[in-house]
Amino acid sequence: MTSVRVAVRVRPLNKREKQLSSKVIIHMKEKTTTIQKPTVRGDELKGAGKTFSYDFSYDSFDRRSPTFASQEKIFRDLGFEVLKAGFEGYNACVIAYGQTGSGKSYTMMGPSVRSSINLHDKGLIPRICEGLFWEISHRSKSDAVMFHTEVSYLEICNERVQDLLKKRASPTDDGGLSVREHPRHGPYVENLSKHLVQSYSEVEGLIILGNAKRTTASRGVNDFSKRSHAIFTIMFTQVWCDAEPLYETVSKIHLVDLAGSEKVDPTRTVGGRLKESADINKSLVTLGHVISALADLGAGVSTTKQIFIPYRDSVLTWLLKDSLGGNSKTTMIATISPADVNYMETLNTLRFASQAKNIVNSPTVNDNGSMKVMRELQSEVTRLNQLLKEATQVGHEVPLSSVDVKEELNETKSLQAVALTKNRSSTWRETLNILQEETVTLRKEGSGVVLDCCLPHLIGVGEDLQSTGIALYYLKEGRTIIGKASCTQDIVLHGPGLLSVHCVLENIAGTVTLFPQDGALCLVNGSVVTDPCQLTQGAIIQLGKGATLWFNQPTASQLRLKYQSGLPSVFSPSVTDSSNSTENLSKAMVQNRWYKDAIKLTALVADECKPGLAKILTSAGSATNVN
Amino acid sequence: MASFNSNEWRAICDKFTNAQNLTEIESRNDPENDPFRSKYKARELLREIYCSLKNFEAGEGEEEGGGESGDQRPTEQPVDGQREDLFGQGFSGDSPAGLRAAKLGAVEYYLGVNHVDTEELPAGQEHLMNCMKLLERCRVSSPNVSLFIHVRNQLGILWAGRDETETAQGFLETAESIYQRYMKEDGSPPTDMTEYFAAEESLLTHQERIKRFELAYTHTMYYLAQVYKNLGQTERAATYCHTTLQRQLQLNQFTPMEWALNAATLSQYYITKGRYMEGRHCLSAATVISDLAGEVPSEAAAQENEAESERREHLRQKRAEIARCWIKYCLNLLQDAKKQLEDNIGELDTDRQEELKRARRREEEEEEKGRKSALLFGSEDTFDSIASIEEKVMCLFPLDFTEARSVFLVGQNHVTQAKDYFQMDGYVTDHIEILQDHSALFRSLAFFEEDLERRCKMHKRRVDMLEPICNDLNAQYYLMIRRQLMFELAETYNEMMDLKLALANRQADTQSLDNHTIKKFNHLCSASAKYFQMFLDSLCSPEGKFPERLEEEVLRPALVARFRVARLHSRLISTSPTVQLDNLNKSLENYKYVVQYCEANPEAGATVETELELSKEMAGLLPLKINRLKARMASNN
Repeated sequence: MTSVRVAVRVRPLNKREKQLSSKVIIHMKEKTTTIQKPTVRGDELKGAGKTFSYDFSYDSFDRRSPTFASQEKIFRDLGFEVLKAGFEGYNACVIAYGQTGSGKSYTMMGPSVRSSINLHDKGLIPRICEGLFWEISHRSKSDAVMFHTEVSYLEICNERVQDLLKKRASPTDDGGLSVREHPRHGPYVENLSKHLVQSYSEVEGLIILGNAKRTTASRGVNDFSKRSHAIFTIMFTQVWCDAEPLYETVSKIHLVDLAGSEKVDPTRTVGGRLKESADINKSLVTLGHVISALADLGAGVSTTKQIFIPYRDSVLTWLLKDSLGGNSKTTMIATISPADVNYMETLNTLRFASQAKNIVNSPTVNDNGSMKVMRELQSEVTRLNQLLKEATQVGHEVPLSSVDVKEELNETKSLQAVALTKNRSSTWRETLNILQEETVTLRKEGSGVVLDCCLPHLIGVGEDLQSTGIALYYLKEGRTIIGKASCTQDIVLHGPGLLSVHCVLENIAGTVTLFPQDGALCLVNGSVVTDPCQLTQGAIIQLGKGATLWFNQPTASQLRLKYQSGLPSVFSPSVTDSSNSTENLSKAMVQNRWYKDAIKLTALVADECKPGLAKILTSAGSATNVN
Repeated sequence: MASFNSNEWRAICDKFTNAQNLTEIESRNDPENDPFRSKYKARELLREIYCSLKNFEAGEGEEEGGGESGDQRPTEQPVDGQREDLFGQGFSGDSPAGLRAAKLGAVEYYLGVNHVDTEELPAGQEHLMNCMKLLERCRVSSPNVSLFIHVRNQLGILWAGRDETETAQGFLETAESIYQRYMKEDGSPPTDMTEYFAAEESLLTHQERIKRFELAYTHTMYYLAQVYKNLGQTERAATYCHTTLQRQLQLNQFTPMEWALNAATLSQYYITKGRYMEGRHCLSAATVISDLAGEVPSEAAAQENEAESERREHLRQKRAEIARCWIKYCLNLLQDAKKQLEDNIGELDTDRQEELKRARRREEEEEEKGRKSALLFGSEDTFDSIASIEEKVMCLFPLDFTEARSVFLVGQNHVTQAKDYFQMDGYVTDHIEILQDHSALFRSLAFFEEDLERRCKMHKRRVDMLEPICNDLNAQYYLMIRRQLMFELAETYNEMMDLKLALANRQADTQSLDNHTIKKFNHLCSASAKYFQMFLDSLCSPEGKFPERLEEEVLRPALVARFRVARLHSRLISTSPTVQLDNLNKSLENYKYVVQYCEANPEAGATVETELELSKEMAGLLPLKINRLKARMASNN
């Protein structure tokens, strides 16, 4: 789900650029941005433009233009997605990048949070926060969801992390915070303060506080944003209280205001492999960058070689690891000036943005071992085709059986010994289907498998020769018809002397009565019955000449208990005390030394419309012992 | 200089010293809102010096009688390379005219640098070109050669910054050849430009002169490295980086840890080019030089003192990073060797092995020759230690298990070292990458292992190190890493499954598989399928829906995973026809997915060509098999 969207936004000419009567060299059309190289005297031909394509190109050059991209539009395009991701439980990240004065802070924050007289000019961060709380208030009315929102605000200056929301502990305490990674909790800043917020105004207050601290922390005036990165993080937890067990999602939304692009080398800030600029680093201190770039180029050419490049990670990359390599929606907004005087910086920004998708250094998945698999499969295909060919040569009528013989020969060898081994995992899925009906549960007890059923039920014990398994028929409220195979009955039995409607069992609040049909042979505990007969726990019922069933009835009190507490999870044993369970809950225990691992359950009936019955068979039923 | 009285001259020298001081020291403390204050002051002083020199020259020019007439040259810009012989023509460097030109040139040079530093590039260029013009009249010789090189370095930077890399290249390459020829033909310690304006008593020692001159040339090398990089000539760029490093070491102008890391990084470049001899040399040097940074302070010392604590952290981290570069060396060497030796199903090709072993002798000779011609690092005292580290690991492809094992063990040692710093708690991503490398080392070693039992155990080691982590990591934050791990685990289980089967077949050729083996086989097969499926599940939306369109970076892995799942399901062994049927249906479903996806998205087909072809075949054949099974089931009932 990692995806990066890239947007570029151009601002209007500023005062200084107008004074210099700068030419506009940026043009946008739909998703593309074109930059014109400023013409040097007598060098008109060189003025060819470069065009870049992005997910969005925002023309905010002229307010009166019909294509003018307002703060509102940017929020609708980019901010909505961030909020959506947050509520879906994803992480999200918005990164603003660009030269100082190109409109980064305006885009992220707006003109100034403190004096946001013009509400239309509010930036992305306030709008996202507002949207978040609007949605929270909306949702907490309707759903059983609880929300918990915390924010933190930090600054990275010269690779040191400062908490912008914590009062200075002591004047000497400028050591910076360290950034670490936790296997369960992801990257985090040690000792970074988190602030619980309940409303937008609280968030706004914290933003103002943080911005103020950011300003005073730097030596110069108004240039705080030039040299430091700021990360505003919203940690947003949703808890569904009605879910069992409690279900929660946590999403982190990072809103990142990067230092002015002219002050930082983008390759060092976001860990990309770019900066094509032809600039030469003067100082030998930067030799490492050049060598890293070379190694990177080398690795880029040969896709199979994986190398390690030291000192690549900056604190920022580290902190954004979960956004860049995790399940996150990342948005990059590159802001640019329209003026020719900023040509080089703007071009660099555009290049950077056009490669931003690669910056997300998403580790790729490499597959190594397919070669062998394909070879094997190739030979299998050949073999099967060969068999098919031989088969069709024999005659069209019997292709399958012919294939059979050949294949049988091939497979018998391995199959002979397999006799009773089976695949547990697929069985488990089928078992689940039955168990999900929530009337039966299966658990292990010693070397036995215990089937618990909270409804009155019958267990087949008799000489039903066609079946090799154990059958459990549970009786839902109402009538259950038993008979031999035709269309009306709910329980189908096999055996001599059975009628198509042999008898009816009626379950009223746990009391089960047997109604024999005319001419049907029914025995309860060895005595023939012709009149309705209430069944008691442990009754043996013989129907016809062969089919024998054993009646089991969990007690009424037990039932009440279970319904009150809600039906138990299918995975937890309903009763742990075994003596209790023998009396109160019936169970079918299959004890089988040899085949205990080979229990196989097959759902034959799962039709909800019917009063309810399930037949559960075990494949190795010859040595069953019903408890 | 006779016309300057000593006071006048001293004043000029003082101004110069002052200007230097302003430029290099004062300017660091300039306020943010007036960042170039000191540099502007320095500029004024330089201008004054220039005027004094110029006035004096005018006066003297009359005395000498029309010295200026020689100036009436065509005004076109001198571009390097046009003049044929910088060494043969013009004033001698130590003639009065030559010295005068050099002094004036030096002031132009400093003015040029000053303007460039204060972001006035055109003016800076003009001054630098004036310097070039003045020097044009002179022959390269000991008093001016340093200026010849410095001015070209500056022009190189200037033009590179304008995207005119070829122009920059011209200036820098000329600087390079001037240096080389000077060292060949003269070689005496050249005058430094600062000495033009220094009193007799404060002239530099020969040693200091050499140091400064060589440093200027080191910069030329470094700038050329960048120019070649920008021109896309990476190999040349690497050579120049290598030379830069080598010179830093020889001239003792380096900080050990920084140098070591740069060398280690350069090794990674060489690895990508398959140049293991150079890679090993860089790494060995990195190890030796990093030791010069000193002992890692003990934990106790670190607890008492914050500076020590930071130093401890720094040294441990950098050494661990160098270790990680070594791991990659060993790993890539093993993997490249494997590529050389494997047949078309990834098994050891013994014919090829013999062939390569025969070719080995020749290679060894070449290695010896290569060593002699290569750019070697080291001063007298480090040379031997570097060589002794090199001896511990081979740089030729390992061709059999013994050799492979020796490379593996070196890699594994570095794994231990790297993990010691990059621990799971605190460095999750790094720690896991190291584990992945460790696993890959095992994987490569297993290729060389002939004993299948032991080979299987190596893969088991991989599972043991990766499986717990894969299940432990936060699925949201470490999605990508987990996907990698899932895929690797799936493949490893698959590998083990194949090995188990091969072993069983080998041991009991005529008999059928025993129960235990079948159980084991099925377990491995299901485990493999489970991890492929887990990978596929990780692509699903929060609601658990598999995406209709696969994103580019997961397209191939996802289709391959489907294909592999299909294959695995059809390999599960069962006697129960129902289970068999179920498995075959699952298999068919996955083959069909691959086929259908590629039909709907034709561009996807190209990424999984063979898999697609086979999936098509199987999607056609499997229904037959399924029908046959059904028929058999019906007849048995």
